[in-house]
Amino acid sequence: MSPITSHSRFTPSRRALLLGGAGFGALTLAGCGGFVNDDGGGSGEESGSGSGGGTVTAYLSTEQNTGIEPLVEPFTADTGIELDIASVAVPDMNQQLPVQLSSGTAADLFRVSPGYSSNVAAGVLGSSGDLLDLSDAAWTGDIDDGTRALSDVDGKTYAFPVARNSLVLAYNLAVFAELGLEPPTTWPELLEVSQALTDSGRTAISHGLSGGAIYLQFYVYIFAGTLLYGPNPDLDAQMRAGETSFSDEPGWTEVFTKYLELRDKGFFTEGALGVPPDQAMQDLATGAAGMTVLTNSGLPALFEYSESGAEAFSIVAMPSSDDAGATLLPTAPDFLAVNAAAKNPDGARALLDFLAGPGNVETYANTLAVLPGLDVGAVVDNPSLEPVLPLVDEGRTVPYANYLWPNGDVQQTMLQSGQQLYADEITIPDLLAQMDAEYAKGTP
Amino acid sequence: MTSAVTTATPPRPTQPAPSGSRRSLTPAGVPYALLLPAFVLYALVVLYPTLSGALYAFTDWSGRADGTTFIGLENFAEILSDVAARSALRNSLIIAVTVTAVQTLVGLGLALVLHSSLVTRNVLRTLFFAPAMLPPVIIAFLWTFILTPQGPLNTVLRAVGLDFLAQNWLGESSLALWTVIGVVIWQNAGLTMVIYLAGLQGIPAELNESSELDGATWWQRTRLITVPLLIPATTVAMSLTLISSLKLFDQVFAMTGGGPGYSTETLSVIMYKEAFVSGRFGYSAAIALVLTMIVFAFAMVQLGALRRFEVDR
Repeated sequence: MSPITSHSRFTPSRRALLLGGAGFGALTLAGCGGFVNDDGGGSGEESGSGSGGGTVTAYLSTEQNTGIEPLVEPFTADTGIELDIASVAVPDMNQQLPVQLSSGTAADLFRVSPGYSSNVAAGVLGSSGDLLDLSDAAWTGDIDDGTRALSDVDGKTYAFPVARNSLVLAYNLAVFAELGLEPPTTWPELLEVSQALTDSGRTAISHGLSGGAIYLQFYVYIFAGTLLYGPNPDLDAQMRAGETSFSDEPGWTEVFTKYLELRDKGFFTEGALGVPPDQAMQDLATGAAGMTVLTNSGLPALFEYSESGAEAFSIVAMPSSDDAGATLLPTAPDFLAVNAAAKNPDGARALLDFLAGPGNVETYANTLAVLPGLDVGAVVDNPSLEPVLPLVDEGRTVPYANYLWPNGDVQQTMLQSGQQLYADEITIPDLLAQMDAEYAKGTP
Repeated sequence: MTSAVTTATPPRPTQPAPSGSRRSLTPAGVPYALLLPAFVLYALVVLYPTLSGALYAFTDWSGRADGTTFIGLENFAEILSDVAARSALRNSLIIAVTVTAVQTLVGLGLALVLHSSLVTRNVLRTLFFAPAMLPPVIIAFLWTFILTPQGPLNTVLRAVGLDFLAQNWLGESSLALWTVIGVVIWQNAGLTMVIYLAGLQGIPAELNESSELDGATWWQRTRLITVPLLIPATTVAMSLTLISSLKLFDQVFAMTGGGPGYSTETLSVIMYKEAFVSGRFGYSAAIALVLTMIVFAFAMVQLGALRRFEVDR
C-alpha cells in the first residue's frame, strides 16, 4: 500500500470538511439553545404542565432550602410532583434572578424580596408582569395586613409568605448573670446595661460593619419601627406622595442620632468598620461582648459559635424609646413567587398550597427558628423565640422600613454612606439628603 | 549572473500528477474549514458577548429583555458627572500606579538577591512565589482576618511594644486602600520575581565576568549591564501588573466590599454593583467599556515607552 493511498483513505474531501464544520457549528448552537431551554426544568410534557405529576423547579435561598427540606418527600408523596431545587445565598440570588428571567431560564418557583426592596422584589417583578397572579389561592386569606402590603400590587397577590423573620437583641446569659443584669426593655435601660457591660471591660454591643455594613440597617429598622412607623403607619404613603422625606421628617434624624449615640458612648465594638459580622457574633458567643442585634434566622449560626448552643443566649425586642409598651418588633416576610412563564405553574401553585397547610407552616417555622408566614394557628415550638412571641401575638410587629422604599438603591446608599456617617465623614443631614436623592428616582 | 545561473539550471523533472484524493486536499478552503469549528466557538464565547457588551453601553438595559432603548452617549456623560465613578477611577489609577511601581521594584529586588549562590535560594524562591499560586479571594479572606482591629497583626504589634503601629487597617477610609494595595503586592511580588529571574538567567555570564575583570563594581555591573538587559523582562512584568491592577476586583470586593463608605471602590467594583445590585446593566457596560479603553491606552503607552529602552544583547 503506497503512502499516498494510505493518506487518501483518512483525508475527508473538502466538501465533507465544510459540511463537518458547519455541522459542528450547528451542534454548538443547538447545544447552547438546549442549555438555555432545559434549565427551566425540561419540556412541558416532562414537567407535567397540569396538576398531579411532573417536576417543579425551585430556586431558593439556602435558608428556605433548609426549611423546606423536611417537606419535600411528603409533598411528592401527596401530589406525585417532583421538586428540583437549587439554592444559593440571597445576595447571589438577587443578582442572578434578573438575568434568568430575562433569558427565560428562571425556575418555576423562586424567592423574591418583600415590597420594592430590591430589583427582584415582589412589587417590582409583580409590576413588570414577571410573576403569576396568585390572588385566587385559598391561603391569601391567611396573610396578615402588614405582609399583604409587601406581597400585593394593585390588589393582586404575587408572593407567598413562607415565614417571617424578626430583628432581635440577643444577649449572653452567662455574662448577664455574672454582672446581675436584666435584659433592657426601654432605651434608658439599654444605655444602663450597655454601660455596665462596658465598665466590666467587655464590648456592650458587638457590631461588625466590614464588607457591606448590612448590620447597620438593622438598627435603622429597629429604631424607625418604634419611633416612626409605630406612631405614623402612613409614613410610607406620605413619603411616596412627596408630603415628607428623609430630610423633612424629624424622626429619621432621631433614628440615626440614636444609632450614633451608641457609637459615641463607646458601646459598639471598637473599630467596627473593620470588623466582619461573623466576628461580632463570635465575640458575643465567647463573652467578649454582652449583646448584639441580628435576625432570628441568624440565631442558629450564633448558637454554633458556643459550646452551650442555644442555652447560652436569649433574645429580647430591642427597645428604642422610654416606653416599653411602645416597642415594636420589626418583622420581614420571606417570600416565594411563581414565575409568570413557569413551565409547570400548576405544580408550583400546588407546592404553595401544600406549604400553606397549618402543619407544614409549623414544620417550616420550627425547622428554621422563624415565625410562621401565615396566620393559620401554627404553634411555634422553639424556646429561643419565646421572649418575642408575646409581641407577635399582640400584633406589635412592624415591617422593615426599607420594604416600601421605591428602589433598592435607597438602602444601598444608606449602607455605604452610613459607613461614612459612622466614620464622621458626613453628617446625618448629608446622609438623609443622599437617601432622598435615590428615593426620588422612584421604582425602575 | 543570477540569470545565467538560472538559465544553466537544468529543468526539474516533471512530477507525476498527484492522485485524485491528494488533489482534494490542496484547495485553499480546507484550512478554513478546519478552523471553522474553533472560530464558531470563539465567536459564540468571546466575540459575540464582547460586541454585545459594547453595544449595551449605549442603552439603558436593565438586565431584562424588554424595554431596552438606545440612549446614545448618556451613560458616558453620567460617568463623567458621577462622583462615585470619578472616585472609583481615581482609586483604580492609584492602585495601578502604586502596585505597578512597588511590585516591580520588590520583584526586581527579590530576583537580584535570589539570583545568587545563596544556599537557600530555591526554598526562598518557592516561598516568595507561593502566594501568587493561591486564589486572590482566599488570600483576601486570610488577610481580612489578620487585619481586624483585634486580629493577629495588631496583637503581634502590641506584644512587641509597637502599639502605635496597630491600626484599623480595613476600617479607616484613609488607610483601607493602601492596605488592599499592600496585600495585592504581597501576593504578586513573587510572580514579578519569577519574571525577573528568567530575565537574569538569560543575561550572558561572560558580560559580567569580563566587566568584573575590567574592575567594574557590583553596582556598576548592575546599573550598566543587568538593568538594561532586563528591560524586556520589565516590559512583561510591568505590563501584566498594570493591566491586572487596573481591573482589580477580587481582593477589594472580598476585603472591603468597596468600603468603608466608597473609599476602596474601583471601576471594576462599581461596574459589578451597578449591574448586579442596582440592575443598571447598560451603565455598567459603559463603565466596562471605559475601563477597557483605559487599560488599552495605558498598556500601549507603557509598552511603547519601555520598548524604547530595550537593547540588543
